[in-house]
Amino acid sequence: MRRASRLLLHSILVVLLVPLAQVHSASVPPLQTASEIRENLFDAQMRVSSDPTGVEASLAAARSAYSEAFAPIFQEAVPQVNGRAMAGFDAAAQSFSQGQVAGFAAARAQIWTAILAGSYTMVEQAVRQKDIVTAQAWLPVREFRTTTRFSRPGTSATLALEALAQGTMSSNEALLAVRADLFDTYQAELTEVLHDLPAADSQGFAARREELAALAEGYFLILAPSYAQANGDIALQNAQAAFHDLRFAAGTGQNLSMPLQRIDETLHNFRAAPLTPAEQSRRAGQLLRYLSLVPVEYNRGVKSGQVIHDFEIQEAITFHTGAMAAFSDLENLLDVHDSEATAQARVQLETLGQQLDQTARGGEVIPGVLIQDQADGLTQLLTNTMPPEWAQGGSAGDFDVILSMLDQMEAAVLSKDYAAAESARLEAYAIMEVGPEARLMSFAPQLKLKLEDLFWNSQTPDKGLAYLIHNQASYQEIKSTRARLDQTLNEAQTILTANTAPMAVAVNAGMIMFREGLEAVIILASLMSSMKRTEERKYRKPMWLGTILAFAATILTWVLAHDLLQSLARYGEKLEAVVSIIAIVMLLIIMNWFFHKMYWTEWIASFHARKRQIISGEAGLWLGLVALGFTSVFREGFETVLFLQALVLESSLSVVISGVVAALAAVCLVGFVTFRLQVNLPYKKMLVFTGILIGAVLLQMIGATVHVFQVVGWLPIHAIGAQQLPYWLGTWFGIYTTWEGVVLQALAGLFVIGSYYLAEGLKHKHRSIRTEPDKVELPPRPAQKLSPSRK
Amino acid sequence: MSQPTRVYISLIGLLFILSACVPTASNSIASTTTPPFVPTSASKAELDRVKTYVEGKSDGLYASILDLKNASDRYYELAKAANFDYPTLWSGQSEEVIEILGKARSAFLAANPQYEQMEGVVAGIPSLSQYDLILDAGVSGADGGEDAVPFDLTLPNGTVLSKPGNLFEVTEATLWGTDPVYTITTIHPDFNRNGQVDLGDSLPDAAVLKGAVDAFEKYTGELKEAARTWQPTESEAFGALIANIPTFSDFMEGWKNSHFVMGEASNERGFVATSRLSDLGDNILSWQKIYSGLSPAVKSQLPEMDAQITRDLENLHQYVADLYVQESQQEKRFTPEEVDMLNAEGQSRAMAIAGQIAQVAAQLGISIEVE
Repeated sequence: MRRASRLLLHSILVVLLVPLAQVHSASVPPLQTASEIRENLFDAQMRVSSDPTGVEASLAAARSAYSEAFAPIFQEAVPQVNGRAMAGFDAAAQSFSQGQVAGFAAARAQIWTAILAGSYTMVEQAVRQKDIVTAQAWLPVREFRTTTRFSRPGTSATLALEALAQGTMSSNEALLAVRADLFDTYQAELTEVLHDLPAADSQGFAARREELAALAEGYFLILAPSYAQANGDIALQNAQAAFHDLRFAAGTGQNLSMPLQRIDETLHNFRAAPLTPAEQSRRAGQLLRYLSLVPVEYNRGVKSGQVIHDFEIQEAITFHTGAMAAFSDLENLLDVHDSEATAQARVQLETLGQQLDQTARGGEVIPGVLIQDQADGLTQLLTNTMPPEWAQGGSAGDFDVILSMLDQMEAAVLSKDYAAAESARLEAYAIMEVGPEARLMSFAPQLKLKLEDLFWNSQTPDKGLAYLIHNQASYQEIKSTRARLDQTLNEAQTILTANTAPMAVAVNAGMIMFREGLEAVIILASLMSSMKRTEERKYRKPMWLGTILAFAATILTWVLAHDLLQSLARYGEKLEAVVSIIAIVMLLIIMNWFFHKMYWTEWIASFHARKRQIISGEAGLWLGLVALGFTSVFREGFETVLFLQALVLESSLSVVISGVVAALAAVCLVGFVTFRLQVNLPYKKMLVFTGILIGAVLLQMIGATVHVFQVVGWLPIHAIGAQQLPYWLGTWFGIYTTWEGVVLQALAGLFVIGSYYLAEGLKHKHRSIRTEPDKVELPPRPAQKLSPSRK
Repeated sequence: MSQPTRVYISLIGLLFILSACVPTASNSIASTTTPPFVPTSASKAELDRVKTYVEGKSDGLYASILDLKNASDRYYELAKAANFDYPTLWSGQSEEVIEILGKARSAFLAANPQYEQMEGVVAGIPSLSQYDLILDAGVSGADGGEDAVPFDLTLPNGTVLSKPGNLFEVTEATLWGTDPVYTITTIHPDFNRNGQVDLGDSLPDAAVLKGAVDAFEKYTGELKEAARTWQPTESEAFGALIANIPTFSDFMEGWKNSHFVMGEASNERGFVATSRLSDLGDNILSWQKIYSGLSPAVKSQLPEMDAQITRDLENLHQYVADLYVQESQQEKRFTPEEVDMLNAEGQSRAMAIAGQIAQVAAQLGISIEVE
């Protein structure tokens, strides 16, 4: 009985001790154990030929750590991985006993990649079971892509587990993110290993050669499920055989060319973590944008066969590197579409890179025209090869390029090269304007204004970049604005990522068209409706002519859009400012004429009958009306094209046109209603109504133009208080809280009202003159000159 | 009840209590989500210590460069007095030349670790990084690329050396005679009087030495001032680590190609005075220093990760220190293949650390600013 109770107590003790032992081993994070195994194995390898005792100790420590902490878990979850690791330990012991460093290195690589494979499986299983603790414990036992300027260690798996823990991501989504991050990493590692292998082989580094071949085999085993999914089980068996052969060849000192070539063929077009459609589109955007910037920078850096700015050549190289990285990510997908064109694109990209490098190293300077031609040819080739949907997936690529341009700007500020900084800033803004801004106009107009302020001459709370660069501000100040800009760009990107439905794009296009068209149509309709008397109707013609010319110019802009917008985009705001000021001057002249003509000029003209003077005045007036018609429409037309082009890239031409047609119809309706309303009004009321409408438009134009002038730094900024008005007051009515805007709008108002009263005063004066026949003899006014209301 | 039975029962009772304390998956989940990171005055204070460290090192560097400048000026005056006739100079004033050049080399050797021990910060912080290019990392214009130095060297005689490479490299090559363009090749003075021409048995071109050292003084002075105005942030510190730790293999490649590994077969004009292993060890110290400024903030929210990163950085430092001891004290000459293996292993560990730091930054919600 006593013995039986002892046995029972013994059993209970064992049952309780086992989980406690597991807790003890579990309390050591898997990463720590993995590091311990790795370090001991490497230590052992470095002692194989010199310190047998040390090897035994290190190897035993590694084996013990593995057997205690990992073997039981892997045996249950992934027995084949455990088998591979244990075989690795056996091979290591055997290599040691035979004094073979190379064999030991290969065994070490086998054990390590087995641990990575086991860890990956543990994470995957845990995510499926929503066992976040286990997933987070095993995830750190992983590798990371080698850091470059365009690639940082992946964090999406870690963040996916965080999101899963917080309940903001489903386990399926988390699993996809984990796979994408880890598969991408291991494929990059595999590529790197296969790249290093021939170099080690050519230098006769036997141990390194065997280690690299074993690493390649091990990394591929991690990717094997993805390979099987993409190519089938038979292809997987062939691929595994190819890696096995490579390892065998490396171990037996055979030539590696054939096995490496076979592996190259095996991996052709294989991507373990396929890019999502959004990522494909993003990379495509990066590729084309970076490529377009290469000749821009290069041409600024060379002149008459000489390098005049090293900095610009380096920029061109940086953008080429960015384009090359994006191309590499897309290459396998492009290859499926057109393998010949893809191969050609690679050769051309590499040639372009060599030419840039040659110029940078002080060799023969390649003419800028040649670089431009090559970039254009490549763009054409790539655009033709890319699936159309890549061009419609959003503006994420644009944001990436904007950020890299801003990086260049910061680098230039650090080098105190403020001219280069300004150039980079303008380039970043140009991409902003021809890219995401159109969508921001509709989805987040408040951010559009905020971004504009930060890019240009904002005074509060952060100074704009243009202002800071112009004043050669310190790096810290520029960095502070940059940080705010990054934050706003990030907000904009988040908002835009969520809005790509065709209907949303069509509504955007319509909104833009309606807002931009409204102003022009009110001016034209108001003025034309007021010209209803026979002798005035002739003035409609020049306005129509100006309008038609503006439409033609707008359409031409659309046709030439891509190249033209690329080249003009960096001057976009300044162009808008110039055209706006011409429009305002024209409007003021016409208003002046309008009031004078209606109330005054005709009296003077008939009174003095100085025909020649009138004719010369008529010619100027005619040109003025053409100019007014043109500028009223084209200033809106250019901007509309700019925005609509970006929307076409977001969706399709037909979607955008549907929105534009609807908005044009609405604009025409507004114009027609304005026209009819005024035509039906009594002449005097019509004149007053026209004056009020045009005066309102003038105020809006002046407010908006002052804002643009302030944006580009041509006018100072003095804010009225710290409070910002709602953005729509600015967008629709040109009201911004700066003293300059308000004062100039008030002055314009005074001008309009003053002009009216001046005309009225003069009219009364002349009427009184007319009533004194002894002083002036007036010819009788022809009856047909009177308007119906006057009759 | 017998004594053993009582012991058993007590033990089992104790085990029950302990078992009850074992964390389960469900009650641990809450601890896995990381609250948003809010920089505190404490974390700022830790980063300020990094700033103080860099200020100290840049002061030390500048002081060593002033010593170097003093020696370089004296050498130039001697050469000028001899009308730059170096054989005459050597035959007439060899003792003084040896003394001056000895001081110059000592000052250089003192300056080198001062810089290397802060290089991780200088190279990784955007507002300071241009000085890394100028002083220690930039290549010559002929080597091209974005890593070329941004300056030309104007010598006292008006000669301009266009983008000659970083100042440590140019000065080292001039002082130790590894670049014939910067050295007087017509005579081979036997500095240590051992009867043979060794590495370093050469006279520098005084104009090149003075031009390089004057530029050295200018830029280290600027760096000193820039370090004073630098305001460290978590974002910069994380960025500096993520960008710099993976440069481990650059140091190892430099070591592999240097005289310390390749011997006479080396074509490197730099890394002759100090082994690149020593520079790497010093750099890892600077990475540890930067991380020490972040550690309290990380520890408060991700204690396991903090412990792992601290431990791995220390292990990495030890890994390199052991190699340096073998090379410098045990006079082991590593073979290129061994260096290749050591590089691959070290780089793998370095990438793992950089990766962990990137995960921590992401979990704390810190956007990384990388030079």
